[in-house]
Amino acid sequence: MKHDQPEADLAIEIHGLSKSYGAKQALADLSLAIPYGGIHAVVGRNGAGKSTLFHIMLGFAEPSTGSARVLGQPSHALSPSVRGDIAVVNEEHALPPWQSVERLCALEQNHYRGWDQAIYERIIGLFDLHREQRVHQLSRGERAGLAIALAMAKRPKLLVLDEPTLGLDVVANQAILESLLLASTLQDCTLVFSTHQMNEVERIADNLILLDRGRLGAYESPDSFRTRFGAWTAADLPIDRLQEIEGLLQHRMIEDRHQLVVIDRGPTVVPELESMGATQVTEDPITFDRAVNAFLHRRIGERVL
Amino acid sequence: MCSDTRDTDEPHSSSQLLRPGEVLVIEITPGDPRPIFRQIVDGLRRSIARGALPPGSRLPSVRGLALQLRISLNTVAKAYTQLIEEGLIESRKGVGVFVCEPKQRLSEAERLRRLDEAIESLVNATLSLGFDTETIVERLRTAHAPLAQPTPDDTKQS
Repeated sequence: MKHDQPEADLAIEIHGLSKSYGAKQALADLSLAIPYGGIHAVVGRNGAGKSTLFHIMLGFAEPSTGSARVLGQPSHALSPSVRGDIAVVNEEHALPPWQSVERLCALEQNHYRGWDQAIYERIIGLFDLHREQRVHQLSRGERAGLAIALAMAKRPKLLVLDEPTLGLDVVANQAILESLLLASTLQDCTLVFSTHQMNEVERIADNLILLDRGRLGAYESPDSFRTRFGAWTAADLPIDRLQEIEGLLQHRMIEDRHQLVVIDRGPTVVPELESMGATQVTEDPITFDRAVNAFLHRRIGERVL
Repeated sequence: MCSDTRDTDEPHSSSQLLRPGEVLVIEITPGDPRPIFRQIVDGLRRSIARGALPPGSRLPSVRGLALQLRISLNTVAKAYTQLIEEGLIESRKGVGVFVCEPKQRLSEAERLRRLDEAIESLVNATLSLGFDTETIVERLRTAHAPLAQPTPDDTKQS
């Protein structure tokens, strides 16, 4: 199949992407189609390929095989105008520490036609910033807020944020999430951010992009992802038959109770467990957090007590 | 420049964006096993049943509630869609979202099906707790009675 023709309605279009650094394969045959608009959360364990995906999306790295298009152009050959439509917020792209908030805003404002002062002030207003403060006097969260405000004022089509809430206190964390929602609702901007906080994904993300050892594990809304999982408690389950249970991701025993998490089974798992001799099979509610954990960390046959 | 849009200097809480006189209080609790859209549906349904949101009350826009609760637009839209399907709220084009006059839109069979479904999950959830039927029914009565309102169908029958 040829994938030379870009699709007009996709902000990011990745086909069969692999990227290796020496012997280490960071991404393996990844395909992903992100439409314009919405908030997309990239989730995965450390080393799952998040940074590599971001580097390729932003044109900092070339695919080893496969293709990646961003805003309709190959990511390793973006035109200056498309490059200008992409904003990045991360720790590496630090703001000049000596500059005051006010001066920084004024400088950037002069550089960009179509500067959106209203959204700049809405976002900056979520943080306890004063215009005469210098960047080096700001807290980590305030710097991130300022970076998001400055980025959004340039009306980007794509905003990429690498762990924007990493290490923030609870107040700064909420302000960042609120600024992402503002950015997504007040402008026609596609947001892609990475995080390890599943409650953030569940709250604000329209789509979960789950990376599992360099592969795409899932790409769907957090809620539809969660509903694929079931958590069950049972007694009298023969341990030696666990491997037969299709979709079993996690199993552990606490005293004489078996706890299981299964994927894509729904209630069909109940008769299967009962046919193996299990009794008192009951379903427990499963949180989004636990679903992601079970998907990324398969553990079977663990005995807790 | 910076202070115009700030509401207060207090830490952000979910009630901060409520205007005075607004009664809509929905708590999105991290760790709640219910999905967020379900928490909103349950919260609104409860507020409507209790009369905290009387018929004709105007609800926040999808965007407004999303920003107020700091959750995605899609989640709020999904919750509103479900409540509209249930006939509890209605969207008036260009005006807003409003609480409906109580009415029963579901067929008798569908109502019974949903009742049985709810009872089945209650039974499943309580089976292993060891309460007798009497205790469960009594507790259900206490929880349900203050919320129960006669529906138009009920009044017709009586």
